[in-house]
Formats: sequence, structure tokens, C-alpha cells
Amino acid sequence: MVRLDRIGKRYGRGPWVLRALSLDVAPGEVVALRGGNGCGKSTALRIAAGITAPTTGRVTRGASVGYAPERFPTDVRPPAREYLRRLAAVRGVPLRWDLVEALGFAGDPDAPVATLSKGNAQKIALAQALHATDLLVLDEPWSGLDAAAGAVLGELVASSAAAVVLTDHHGHDVPGMREVFLGEVGDGVVVIELDRVGEAFALISGMTGVSSARPVGAGARVEVRAGHSDGVLAEALRLGCSVRSVRS
Amino acid sequence: MRALAGHLLADVLRTQRWLPPLLLFAAVLGMLYASDAGPPLAAYAGTCVLVYPVSAWLAVVVAGAEDPVRRAVTVVAAGGWARVQVAASAVSAAGALGLALVAAVVPVLTQPRPYPLAVVAQGFGGLAVCALVGVGVGVLCGRPVVDRVGWSLLAVTALVVLLLLFGRTPPVGNVLWSLSHGDGVPGALALSGAIGVLLVAGATALATALGPRRG
Repeated sequence: MVRLDRIGKRYGRGPWVLRALSLDVAPGEVVALRGGNGCGKSTALRIAAGITAPTTGRVTRGASVGYAPERFPTDVRPPAREYLRRLAAVRGVPLRWDLVEALGFAGDPDAPVATLSKGNAQKIALAQALHATDLLVLDEPWSGLDAAAGAVLGELVASSAAAVVLTDHHGHDVPGMREVFLGEVGDGVVVIELDRVGEAFALISGMTGVSSARPVGAGARVEVRAGHSDGVLAEALRLGCSVRSVRS
Repeated sequence: MRALAGHLLADVLRTQRWLPPLLLFAAVLGMLYASDAGPPLAAYAGTCVLVYPVSAWLAVVVAGAEDPVRRAVTVVAAGGWARVQVAASAVSAAGALGLALVAAVVPVLTQPRPYPLAVVAQGFGGLAVCALVGVGVGVLCGRPVVDRVGWSLLAVTALVVLLLLFGRTPPVGNVLWSLSHGDGVPGALALSGAIGVLLVAGATALATALGPRRG
């Protein structure tokens, strides 16, 4: 489990990166932190994991914590299997190579992590974190994973007995996942990217709930206030547009 | 804790950044003892001046072997900054004391003069104290206390030179003086040894406090 009690963070006298964030994650629960770039998601995760101390507030967490960073460093010299074995020994648990296999690791287990592809290195980063039993802190865990590995990760996260806190820009759906919004940046806004907009652009940009719309090539990027997204989407489809992506 | 120290040590060995300080150590030691180095205790004082900065350099290398993101992964797996900083200081201290042992034994094997056991013990004591003080200085000047390599180098140089400049004052000057004059060695070793241990402990505590603030 992890409990963040009104935590705030600023570096030196700089601006507040986080303010008064409270969050309770029970064992087995999955929480996704949402919000735009720079709203403090990664900082909140680092505080939850115990890497960064909050400036204000208190954190309580279980003893066995796993952390997968947003960008796993590219200069990890030890071979993948040796690196995982050493980290498992640091935790005092046996190595679970089955996690690496479940994620579809396709590299050479005895080659330095630095020589692996982005996706395979990400699988190593995730596997070392998944050895933890109380709290998993995963920063953009799906980045670099193919669809099959992404689905396996979703199952591992959903079935984990540990409390899970993660960030995800791609809108992956984990059953039972709770969403927590941080900051004002992009809060409550759904971004719809459309293709083949053509004449419909004026109609769409004038619809209720559309806060901004701009043409992108033959398509458009439309920001809609939460609660109006379904209506705008349905209308856009009726007008013959093609939907490229929907993100919140 | 042993697994953690082993993990940090394995990474340090892979960086190969330990090579320059070790080459410097071997080269200077070789030059000192290539011919007759003079009275044993005075010669040990000379190698103390070598072991001190080399130990500091070694501790900086150990502190920076993992880049910050990987250090974060290690900190979380180990269960907090304190354990990682203690393990890092232990690895540095073990390495530095190993150098002190080598520097104490080499003249026994190469010098034509007699090296009685009591003299070797005093020499090793002086070398060990200087090694510990060096580790303390290195921990103070390495990650996460000082983040940039350039600043680390400047800080280590400044601290090493500063402690050498002040003549007979502890923790290094009094050891050098007592060894080269053969006078009051046990007292100087006890005092400076205590200061060395406190310095390593204090520097480790500072690193433990600063790590999560910088992180």
C-alpha cells in the first residue's frame, strides 16, 4: 500500500511542482495519475517510491517497493539476467525470470542491457520492479512495448497483489483502474484528433463543449471539455470525419 | 546488505573508472620503492600522502558508478537511500583499506632495510587512517552530495590540498608528522582514526539526507 498525505514538492526556492496531493492506494488496487506534461506526475511517483522526499506532507508505504523509471538509462552495462539476479538478491528474493519471459523478452539474456532494443530494455526495467510485493510504481510502463507485451503487462498489473500507481499517456485500460487527475494543465479536457474533416471544420469548431480546434493537414485537432466528448465524437462521425485518436 | 554491496561493487568494476586512480597508485608506489626509500616510517609517511588522495578519488568513482536514474532503481529495490549510501561507503572503505594494506606490504618485499612487524603495523595504521579520511572526503565530494564531475574534482582537490597544508593538525598532518619523526605515532593514529571514522559516518549521513532532496 501507499498513502500520500497532503504532499507538496518544490526544489530549492523554485515553483511548487506538486501541492497538497493526497492519495491512498490499497493492496491490489491500481491508480493511474493523469494530467498534462509538467503537472508533476513523475515527481508524485518518485515521492511515492521513496526516491524523492516531499517538501511538505507525509508518506507511508509498504516495505517491498518496485520502481520502473520513465526512461530506463541506456548505459546499463551488466547483462540483463545478471542485472535482474543482482537486484533480486538486493531484495532478498529469488530471481523471477518467468516475468521476463511472460513479457515476451526477445533479446539475449547475457547481452548487456545497453545493447538491447528499447522494448526489451523496458521489459527488464518492468521485470525488476515486478519483484516487489507491496507497492509498484510504474512511470509510463507501456512505452516501447508492443501490443502483445502491453496486454501481458495490463494483466500483470491488474492481477498484482501489490498497490499499483502508474502514469500512462496512451490511455491503456486496466480493469478496475482508478484515475486521479493532477494539476490544472489539461484537466478535464479530451483531445480528439480527426482525419478527413474538410468542410465540417467550421461546424465542429462551433459545437457545444469545443474549447479549441485547429486544422492539421486534412484533419483537425479538437479539444473538448469533459462531458461533451461523446456528443462531439458522434457528430464528427456523422459528418463523415474519421477518428484518428481520442485522449484524455 | 552484502548483496547490495556486491551489486554496487560489480557496477564499479564494470565502469573501469577505478583504473586511473589505481594506475596512479601503482606507478607512484613503484617509483617510491624502486630504490632505497630511506627509514621505514618516513617512507610510510610518503605513501600516506599517496593513499589519501587516491582513496578520495576511489570513493568518488564508487559514488558515481550508477547514473542517477539507475541509482533511483537501486534505492527503491534496497528499501531506501540510507542502505545504499552505507553500502557505497563500505565498498569505498574496503577498497581504500585494501590499498593501504598493499602500500604497507610492498616495502617489506622490495626494500633492503629490515621492516620489523611493529613498524609495519604502525605504517599500516597510518595508511589506513589516511585511506579512511580520503574515503570521507570522497563521499563528501561525490554523488549525491556533489552532482557534477567537474565540481567533484575541484572539491576533492581543494579538500585534499587543504588538509595537507595545515602542518601538524589532524586528521592527516599529525599522522604524517608523527610517522616521519617517529614520535607519538599511537596517539596520532588513535585521534585521527577516530576523526576518520566520524568523517566517513558524517559524510554518509549527509549523502543520505541530500539524496532524496536532490532526487
